Amino acid sequence: MSGELAFVSCKVNGIAREFHVRPEEMLIDVLRDRLALTGTKLSCDLGACGACTVLMDGKPVSSCGTFAWQASGADITTIEGLAAADGTLDPVQRAFVENSAFQCGYCTPGMIMLARALLDRNPSPDRDEIRTWMGANICRCTGYGMIIEAVENAASALREAAE
Amino acid sequence: MNVATPGLQTVGQRSARKDAVPKTTGAATYTVDVSFPGMLQAKVLRSPHAHARIVSIDASAARGMPGVHAVITRDDLDGLNPTYGYFIKDQPIVAIDRVRYIGDAVAAVAAETERQAVAALEQITVDYELLPTVATVEDAMADSAPELFEEEPMGIVPAYGQGASGVRRLGRNNCYRFSYRTGDASAFDACDHVFEDRFVFSRDQHFHLEPFVTVARMDGDVIELWTSTQNPFPLRKELARVFQYPENRIRVRVPYLGAGYGAKNNCKTEPIAILLARKSGRPVRFCMTTEECFLTQSQHAAILDVKTGVMADGTFVARSGRILLDSGAYSDASPLVAEKAGYRLPGPYRWQHLDIDCDCILTNTTPAGPYRGFGGTQAAWASESQIDIIARALGRDPFDLRMQNVKSLGEAYVPGESAIDSDLRAGLQVVADRAGYDRRTSGDGRGMGVSVGFKDAGGVNKPAQARVRITTTGGVYLECGTVEIGQGIHTAMSQIVAELLSTSPERVVYPELNTDYTPFDQGTNASSAIIVMGQAVQQATLEARQKVLEFAARELDCGIDEIELDDWSIRKGNETHPLAPMIMRYYGGTGYEFSGAGFFKPAMDHAAPLETQCVSWEFGWGVAEVDVDRETGLVKLVQLVVSGDAGRAINPLVCRGQDEGSAIMGLTGVLFPCMVYDGAVLMNGNGLDYRVPLATDIPDGFVSILQEQGHGPGPFGAKSIGEGCMLPVASAIANAVEDAIGVRIRELPLTPERVLAAIDQAAG
Repeated sequence: MSGELAFVSCKVNGIAREFHVRPEEMLIDVLRDRLALTGTKLSCDLGACGACTVLMDGKPVSSCGTFAWQASGADITTIEGLAAADGTLDPVQRAFVENSAFQCGYCTPGMIMLARALLDRNPSPDRDEIRTWMGANICRCTGYGMIIEAVENAASALREAAE
Repeated sequence: MNVATPGLQTVGQRSARKDAVPKTTGAATYTVDVSFPGMLQAKVLRSPHAHARIVSIDASAARGMPGVHAVITRDDLDGLNPTYGYFIKDQPIVAIDRVRYIGDAVAAVAAETERQAVAALEQITVDYELLPTVATVEDAMADSAPELFEEEPMGIVPAYGQGASGVRRLGRNNCYRFSYRTGDASAFDACDHVFEDRFVFSRDQHFHLEPFVTVARMDGDVIELWTSTQNPFPLRKELARVFQYPENRIRVRVPYLGAGYGAKNNCKTEPIAILLARKSGRPVRFCMTTEECFLTQSQHAAILDVKTGVMADGTFVARSGRILLDSGAYSDASPLVAEKAGYRLPGPYRWQHLDIDCDCILTNTTPAGPYRGFGGTQAAWASESQIDIIARALGRDPFDLRMQNVKSLGEAYVPGESAIDSDLRAGLQVVADRAGYDRRTSGDGRGMGVSVGFKDAGGVNKPAQARVRITTTGGVYLECGTVEIGQGIHTAMSQIVAELLSTSPERVVYPELNTDYTPFDQGTNASSAIIVMGQAVQQATLEARQKVLEFAARELDCGIDEIELDDWSIRKGNETHPLAPMIMRYYGGTGYEFSGAGFFKPAMDHAAPLETQCVSWEFGWGVAEVDVDRETGLVKLVQLVVSGDAGRAINPLVCRGQDEGSAIMGLTGVLFPCMVYDGAVLMNGNGLDYRVPLATDIPDGFVSILQEQGHGPGPFGAKSIGEGCMLPVASAIANAVEDAIGVRIRELPLTPERVLAAIDQAAG
């Protein structure tokens, strides 16, 4: 079977990692099972709900729908890689905390990664842009209003920090 | 609407949730994250047939497959009570004599990897003899229909009080009927108008993002579980019965839950995980796929025939109702849902006579069970739609007709019941004002509708126990069995405890729920946490506080009324005495723990229809404004204004989350396809095909308004808030559609096809 294994060298949360992966192994399997980065959650397993969203070279991707070998050479960021080493929260995380933009929390890592990707692209999104962008992921608990407000607040916090 | 809260330090604060950092950093542990060395993965073989007799099962080849450690079929149930359920124990761990729906569990395998388990399932051969299928309640009730259960399964009918009753196996595939009657049927004769309408309610699936999941292992002779459950103690009791095992040798541990909305009550993944763990001697993880969740539990579809008699001046007089719930293949919680759907059908209005039957009909589809709103959603859909039909027929404004007939604060719901503990008129006025109801545009495709959602909250005869322990240095353990399912209860309870102890909520921790240590609770359901467990927590806290004050008064040689607790110091006049040194002086250097126990249960009362009076009444007022496209049938939501009464909001942010989350969840059953069946085949049971509201589906005009009317039975006047705002959504939207285009739609969901068909039909 070893002949079928693919060699993957990538960065996960800033740390260089190397794996031999089976062809059918998904990125989420590597993150959760091999690196114990269990903040990334599996739900629909069809790339529809976004609970498993991570950033691959800054782009939000469903880690349940991304083969592990596709991560070769990529820079992966998971929810665990967002806060500073000393525990200081990323402005997006802080906004989710302050706006109570979560309930059960199962979609939250994916939502936060999705929002982070938006703000990296567009530091001043309007409400409609936020809604459209965040419309990629499912939350069954909140009704979305508090999530959208959290992203608005994170955007203004980031803008203020940049000034 | 916020009541001023002088003197309160912590209650009412919009503080960040206690679970905020773990949940925003990925550190929060859910059952899906629990793992052990040597842990096996379980997979289940499911029936491809809606109804069939199992002629034979051969699993021998599977047992020899690579990585396989245990296989279970009906041949492995010896020594167990192999069926479970709520009132009626009819659902087997794995199929015994027949399968009753597509997805019914037939066999299970535990292997070292999921792939090995799936490969082994493919080696199991099952011979089925197909049986006739009943996919709908009409089919299931037909004289020619096959009975899903030829013999009556073991079960009970609970005790009921004044006017209420329950019966089992009343007719073909009818597993339970709940009835409620009061007053004299002749009241209909005196009515000027009698309205009879049929309403149809579709079925949503909970689609909780964390699937059903359990990790089970044997710890010596203790069955130990980590499981995603809402009701660990009733689950423990049911598992003890199924496995014929002492309750105190089953340890249920509950990590964070990735939501449940009702679905995570009672047995799901637990029995199979335990059985495989016992057989293999290894820890076993059974985590369903989302597709399997769709084949495990759903909301109840319903047909509601409602007859209402009124006077010419609009006074409500009498209502009778016949509700048929589609229970799916097993009774599950259907009898309880029937009780609530039937009991809630009158709505919070004045009646002289009520006569309601709610029947649970078994069909060869996914078993229906608890779902947020719990029968109240179905009842409100019919009741609040018909009120608009009546208003239009009488030439009355639907808002005014509600204001005329709704019960007042303090009026009993029905004879023998507790008093309504919200001002319903004030509540309705709040949403009408916000939505601009008086200035609304009606007709030409734009319209507005109102609705009052209502349910009895707190469960029936629900006991709760809590314990509070305070360490030498003032750290507080709040030990209570309410599951943090997303509703924010850790935060709210901690704020209550902190307020009562005059300390900061940061001092309060909420230990992980473990049935070995955590005081008993009947479950996190029925909007009961703040009004039932909240009272137990309050009592436990006050008892602990009293012990601290008595100790301090003794040490300071003064009266207890001369001192006050102030953030783990004692204030006596101008003096401040820190408690830690005082405790260590008396108890020694290692200190001591003060503790308090709390208990709450409503009193038994045979005059009350459900044997205890309802603890509190939960409301959700709603106004919807819609644009209806007559060409496409598309209903576009312009405004959705909802409001619940928190009594006293312990944490307004948490309350807002409940109001908005429940309203948008309610929207799923109105403007989305719900579970689509072709016969007995579920067509959209996966995360891609099943549409639920997304951020892009929420209009700018979606607003929640939190009321704090101050009349709740919970600590500081708190009331339940978790389900109310779901209840008015469907009827408010259908009422708005009629206001917009003059067409009444009596069947959910309001898909464009259905709206267009109704427009065409109305045009004749």
